[in-house]
Amino acid sequence: MPDVRATTAPDSRASDNRMLVRRLFGLAWRYRLHCLQVLGIQLLLLALGIGGLSFTGLGIDYIRHRVDGTPLGNNQLHFTLPVERPPLEVLGLLAGLILLFALVRAVLNYTYAVSVNKLVQQKLVVDLRSEVYDKLQRLSFRFFDANNTGSIITRVTSDVQSVRMFVDQVLIQSVIMVISLTAYILYMTSLSPALTLACLATTPLLWLMSAAFSRRIQPAYDRNRTLVDRMVQILAESVSGAQVTKGFGREAEARARFDAANQACFDQQRDIFWRVSLFSPAVGFLTRINMMVLLGYGGWLVAHDQLPLGTGLVVFAGLLEQFSGQVNNVAAIVNSVQQSLIGARRVFEILDAPVEVKTAPDAIRRPKLTGAVRFENVSFAYAEAEAVVRNVDLDVKPGQCVAILGATGAGKSVLMSLIPRFFDPTAGRVLLDGHDVRRLDLDDVRRNIGIVFQESFLFSHTVAANIAFGHPEATQEQIERAAKIAAAHDFIMALPQGYETLLGEGAQTLSGGQRQRLAIARAVLLEPAIMLLDDPTAAIDSETEHEIFTALDRAIEGRTTFIVAHRLSTLRRADFILVMENGRIVQRGTHAELMRVPGPYLHVANLQLLDARDLQPVKSTEGPA
Amino acid sequence: MSTARPHHDHGLIRRLRDDEDETLQKPLEWGLIRRLFTYTAPIKGKVATLAILTLIRSAQLPALGWVMSLIIKGPITGRDFAGIAWGVAGYGLLALSTDFLFHFRQRYALEIGETVVNGLRADLFAKTQRQPMSFYHRVKIGRIIGRVTSDVESVRTGIQDVLFVSVIQFGSMVFSAAVMLWSDWVLFLVVLAMAPVLWLLNRHFRVKLSQHTRASQESFSRVTATLAESVGGIRVTQGFVRQETNAGLFRNLLFDHARYNIALARTSAILTPLLELNSQFFVATLLMFGGWRVFHGDMTMGGLITFFLLANQFFAPISIIGNQYNQALIAMAGAERVFRLIDLKPDWEDDPAATPLPANRGTGAKVEFRSVTFGYDPAKPVLHDVSFAVEPGQTVALVGHTGSGKSSIINLAAKFYLPTQGEVLVDGREIRAITSHSLHRQMGMVQQTNLLFTGTVLENIRLGRPEATEAEVREAARQLDCLDLLDALPQGFATEVGERGAGLSLGQRQLVCFTRALVADPRLVILDEATSSIDAITEARLQKALLALLRGRTSFVVAHRLSTIRHADLVLVLDQGRVIERGTHTQLLAQGGHYAGLYRQFVQMDETI
Repeated sequence: MPDVRATTAPDSRASDNRMLVRRLFGLAWRYRLHCLQVLGIQLLLLALGIGGLSFTGLGIDYIRHRVDGTPLGNNQLHFTLPVERPPLEVLGLLAGLILLFALVRAVLNYTYAVSVNKLVQQKLVVDLRSEVYDKLQRLSFRFFDANNTGSIITRVTSDVQSVRMFVDQVLIQSVIMVISLTAYILYMTSLSPALTLACLATTPLLWLMSAAFSRRIQPAYDRNRTLVDRMVQILAESVSGAQVTKGFGREAEARARFDAANQACFDQQRDIFWRVSLFSPAVGFLTRINMMVLLGYGGWLVAHDQLPLGTGLVVFAGLLEQFSGQVNNVAAIVNSVQQSLIGARRVFEILDAPVEVKTAPDAIRRPKLTGAVRFENVSFAYAEAEAVVRNVDLDVKPGQCVAILGATGAGKSVLMSLIPRFFDPTAGRVLLDGHDVRRLDLDDVRRNIGIVFQESFLFSHTVAANIAFGHPEATQEQIERAAKIAAAHDFIMALPQGYETLLGEGAQTLSGGQRQRLAIARAVLLEPAIMLLDDPTAAIDSETEHEIFTALDRAIEGRTTFIVAHRLSTLRRADFILVMENGRIVQRGTHAELMRVPGPYLHVANLQLLDARDLQPVKSTEGPA
Repeated sequence: MSTARPHHDHGLIRRLRDDEDETLQKPLEWGLIRRLFTYTAPIKGKVATLAILTLIRSAQLPALGWVMSLIIKGPITGRDFAGIAWGVAGYGLLALSTDFLFHFRQRYALEIGETVVNGLRADLFAKTQRQPMSFYHRVKIGRIIGRVTSDVESVRTGIQDVLFVSVIQFGSMVFSAAVMLWSDWVLFLVVLAMAPVLWLLNRHFRVKLSQHTRASQESFSRVTATLAESVGGIRVTQGFVRQETNAGLFRNLLFDHARYNIALARTSAILTPLLELNSQFFVATLLMFGGWRVFHGDMTMGGLITFFLLANQFFAPISIIGNQYNQALIAMAGAERVFRLIDLKPDWEDDPAATPLPANRGTGAKVEFRSVTFGYDPAKPVLHDVSFAVEPGQTVALVGHTGSGKSSIINLAAKFYLPTQGEVLVDGREIRAITSHSLHRQMGMVQQTNLLFTGTVLENIRLGRPEATEAEVREAARQLDCLDLLDALPQGFATEVGERGAGLSLGQRQLVCFTRALVADPRLVILDEATSSIDAITEARLQKALLALLRGRTSFVVAHRLSTIRHADLVLVLDQGRVIERGTHTQLLAQGGHYAGLYRQFVQMDETI
């Protein structure tokens, strides 16, 4: 099994990035028509914007022409003003044209914004998130153990957003930028090549500054995020660990810990503030230098009648402003590229993760199994780790109950996980009804197995929906029957809305015993041939523990059952018991057999018998039960 | 019984709506603003400087536009070359001073914002920590985190941007208005007439935008909540073959979220073009009306150019201030929530007259309950008239069903809560007269599930007594007979414990907690189902060691092992908040009452062996 936390060596980073970019282009290609549509609208907007600006300039020139007779000259629009008409009519015509252009632009701008959002929000993000989610659900538990919940959620939420940024913020924006800059330069050059050159002289400097700044500031922002995360984590821990902190009277230490983290954020921010406050005035001043050049040199040209005031200087000033707006975009695009690469790496890591367990193409369909389970010399190890299950041989007949005893890490849970193929053995094979599980249809296998975990996860939904989790189409009758078998019906009926009661997060309103009985009902509803019970009483407090024994007894009746247990009461009921140590079965036999030989089983049993012996007085006073 | 079943598969999860106040905006409130500014006390000088800088800058920005218009209408149209040069030089000097001041104005504003944020966070933490346990049982952790993160952040934006940006923009408006008024008051009135339209337009859409933003955030929180549960319940999902169904439900949720986002985008897609349309409309008007006035000699060409350049300085602030106003309302709502948490009066606090409990190390504490009645909600008592006394060094075992009041007795003995009626005495002193801190310092507590903090195993153990040496920690682990088990961790005592104890098994975490309690050398030990989650084989080892932990200390034990209870000096059997039986284990069994019955049922499996 490959390591689920991919690590990238620094030297492979460059080729890795190139590969990522290629894949991101591939992603954009899937939406090429939509992208083209969006670009087309932008092109129209650009043309209309330049047009509107020029008409304004033309208006100024016309007024000046009427006032002091400055020649109108040619304009770039090749638009001949009807100078012979009354002046107000001419101005009205120009004003009307400006408004018309503005109106069309407004409509187009709206269409553009909606169109981009539809592409991004409705298609890209939904598709990507669905894909990642779907894949996530098929990954092995190892992935979920190795990554914390927060990081997995981030992959589906913000990392996907970073990936889509590559399409709308990087690709589309870059194309728009290149086209606009070209258009502006061409138009400005047509007005005055020399002035264009003079005004744009500072642009490369601005470009370099922005790039350098964003490269320097990015790590500082990343560091800040880490510091803030740490501060929030300390806060979260002190809130959820309030009882521990208070219980030991260590409030002062907790506060010192938080204050230090808080102060660290503060101190680091000062550095960021300095840089930001040097950069933005510098950029501001550079743009003003452009304006000085325009006023000085452009003014000189206007004064020499080499440049019209309106269609020349005013239009130039407007274009220059748009131009620097686009240039400032460069820094944003560069940032987006970095961010989308980071996001893409994390998203593709999931999309590329191999699904280790899947149905073979020519799988055997067995919708109903009888429940015969066989282990043939089965071993299992996580990638390059020591084996956690070693050479297990086992033959369980339909309807038999096998109990497993062992210390934490002995391999009990893993052994059971091999049956529903949560993992596949690294050596040997597991057979169900005489077929290697890997040859059977995976869904058939799992639908034939009912599982109750140590701490059963219930979803924030109604009681009924939780019981029907494995079979959403189940009828109310089926649900109630399962609940009755699991001895849960009575307490469910006592809930405010019975089966329709909403359970909160983690079903905290229910006791441990009640939660486990719902979990048993959920498993029973499938009427599985095989039941796997992984220490189902571990998280239940002792007084309610007995409540679920009745439920368990009824639930496992007639089904092949594997149960991890520590209590003699449960162990004793099993047809045979396995004692595991370091992945090996060190003892096997019935309770009676194991009680006769010295070994770990007898040791555990003795401890519990000590308890039982205390009951002797009860028995002597009350007689046999 | 009908086979029809209410459809409960709309989504993977369904949640009850939180009804706690999460209002997005609050009207401006002078008291709140003043209170926020008290946090800037450490940098008073910078606040004053910034106020002056802000005023200067509000004149500088429109002055730049004005100087430009002066150059164009004067020397440029007048073909005065020396004038152009002087004008440009003047413009350059003004620009230089503007950007020089900008450095300080920006840096000081950022620093002031951060100072307030820093102070608010520290205050929030200190104040929540003063709260008794009832607060932590009542308030959701997400709320507190929300206060410290998003609410404090919105306050930051309010402080560092809103105030200063608004003043500057307002100054720009006033300055440019003055210049326009001075150069042609008729045309200025036309310009002025358009301002309210722009303001109303902006307000209307901002309100709509924030509503859509709200809806979008809500639908997004449904997405993340579903994701969180999908990850948490992955074993169930795979085990019950629900991948396909879940994926379909999740996709629906995503479409739903997209719908809200598109609605949001549509609204902002109307506002922006409308603002642009408005400015173009203004240009057209200026051209028509201004041109007409120029032709009639009512206005000069230069005056018209001034208007072209300054009008933008007049209009742009309207939407910026509108935006800032919106931000200010959000910041107000955030500040209000932050202060509400800071000001939240604790349900109770230590009596100011309370004195520390003398630490008589080496002897256990004497604990006595006298007719104690207690309810988390005083109207619904969970303990009724409970009385008992524990002599120093004794062990009390609490027995009873869930909800019978075992945890409440522990919470009272630990002074996590105060009794509604009656008295709890420690070493003969009323618990209200003892400072919580001194009592807790003499206490060691292990619960069924315990929180470990991120950090090493050693750091976690030392929580009980930070000054303990590593040798002392190891000795404590040895006494508990689990030194080899802790040494066997990947990096021994230096092993890093992850988020919520990740990396350690349930049993290993419990061992750390036992050691943590022992290192504190407590006089009062509380074990609340402390060994339930430890596997049978490890538990067998720990049993003996536990006796060592309890020796010479007073202890309260809730346990499922008879062997622990057997050694207790006093067993209290609780039912619905009352002590129904008391005595030693042997006495109670001999009585053959509730206790005997409970345990016969509870350990019935062993009796036939």
